[in-house]
Amino acid sequence: MTMRKTLWDHVFTVIVTLIYIFLMAPILLVVLLSFSGGEFLALPMQGVSLRWFGALFTNSRFYDAAAYSFGLALVSALVNGVIGTLAAIYAVRFAPARFANSLRVLMSAPLMVPEILTAIALLFFFFEIGIGNRWSVAIQIGHILVTFPYVFLNVASALFNFDRSQEEAARSLGADGWLTFRRITLPSIKPGVITGCLFAFVISFDIFNISLLLKSVGSNTLPLELFDYLRFNFDPTAAAVATVSIVISFAAVLIVDRTVGLRSLRF
Amino acid sequence: MSAAASPAPNAVTAAPRRMPVWWMILPALTLLTGFLLLPYASIVVMSFREASTSAVYGPGLTLGHYTEIVTDSFVWGIVWRTLRTGLIVTVVTLLLGYPVAYHLARSRSRWTSLLYICVISPLLVGLVVRTFAWLIILSNSGLANTALKWAGLIGRPIIFLNSSLGVTIALVHVFLPFVILPLLGNLQAINPEVAMAARSLGASRARTFFKVTLPLSMPGIQAGAILVFVLSISAYVTPAMLGGSQGRTMAVLVVQYLVDNFRWPAGAALAIFMAAITVSIIALYLRLTARAMRRLP
Repeated sequence: MTMRKTLWDHVFTVIVTLIYIFLMAPILLVVLLSFSGGEFLALPMQGVSLRWFGALFTNSRFYDAAAYSFGLALVSALVNGVIGTLAAIYAVRFAPARFANSLRVLMSAPLMVPEILTAIALLFFFFEIGIGNRWSVAIQIGHILVTFPYVFLNVASALFNFDRSQEEAARSLGADGWLTFRRITLPSIKPGVITGCLFAFVISFDIFNISLLLKSVGSNTLPLELFDYLRFNFDPTAAAVATVSIVISFAAVLIVDRTVGLRSLRF
Repeated sequence: MSAAASPAPNAVTAAPRRMPVWWMILPALTLLTGFLLLPYASIVVMSFREASTSAVYGPGLTLGHYTEIVTDSFVWGIVWRTLRTGLIVTVVTLLLGYPVAYHLARSRSRWTSLLYICVISPLLVGLVVRTFAWLIILSNSGLANTALKWAGLIGRPIIFLNSSLGVTIALVHVFLPFVILPLLGNLQAINPEVAMAARSLGASRARTFFKVTLPLSMPGIQAGAILVFVLSISAYVTPAMLGGSQGRTMAVLVVQYLVDNFRWPAGAALAIFMAAITVSIIALYLRLTARAMRRLP
């Protein structure tokens, strides 16, 4: 399609560029401020230094919180990788037609209901059954629950796009059900599983509301620790923490883009 | 592709041994009924419990919390502000998200992957950090006010914080990806030949856009609008940190009841009230847009 660039095209480009800048602004600001030489989290920056990264690595509170968040996120990703994949295979392949739709709605429900309401619901529920906030049970289940739909939806969409004739070919060549699943189905839905687990991990790492209401005494997740820290210390250590986690998130996204392609993401 | 749609002639004539497969859904079903449906039921139960000063709740059941809420003008004020903020956020997000989705859908540049990362970047910065970044940008002596003053656009600083304005800006920012991504999928699925046909029949570009492309992308707009509306009226961290007392929303009020005042039954009733309002607005919206949607091909 060849068309002359009109004035409107240029206006459109300017508008879109401004929106891209708006989208990137906070992230750029945070990364910039983490290299600040000043004492406060503010602009203009007073010099450039790496000392806040140094401060970060000697701060055991952030270390512990990051380790705790990492554990929660890892368990959420692994558990959902198994039960979310199984559920997606069942929902797409085996569910009786009259249940299929309501099953899909139920499986994506944690994403549709407000996270703060889910947190409140779990708070009451665990209190009523007598577990309360002990042993990180409530917070871990909350994280698994909220990140479940990411795995389910990604695997389900991979299954939808998958050409079943390959399976039929394998079956007609004598492979049994399990072999077909292992050698044909699983490899082709693997990108969906990986993307889903990665999303579950990243989202779990960032969950705030669930953690705020369900955390057990004495163990903070990284977002909660940052929140507490910034209430009393408005210095660039927080920006340094943020920069490290931004770099990790971007690395994860780049890996997905290189291996699976960002366009295959489904929400 | 079409081969998959029609059944293969030799479609597994020897029916494979059917393994019982219902166990596959069992763990997920346990998770969702045990830890989503049941807990939501426990909010309902909690909302009818009597308040107590010595325990979390008293022995009896009551409707009192609901009657207290619906007759409280303070609560209604916050409901109104929450809904207004949600509506503004939804409209602004759609207005800003559409051009980006449109641009991305037609982009053939090799930088497209970078633009994708740009679009999802609000989701990559943690919630807390992102909100603090907005605090730095929007404060009275912050980046936005400094820039506007430097450009000579304003005399005195705009009050972004401790009001709904800052909350609105921060919510628009973080929910833009939720509008852009569904719209993008929708726009990419529209056959470009339809728009070209309209052009070749003499329609202007504006007319082609408003009569062809925009109506065809209505499903994407609707999906994005509902998602953003629900997310923005139930957001907690952003209004709690940027809104102060002047920008307080329903979610903030509920958490205040539960955590600060330890009034669990009243807080539960407020949460149910908030959910009921959300659901009825979405139902109304779906009804109103149903007719417009039905006219689509």
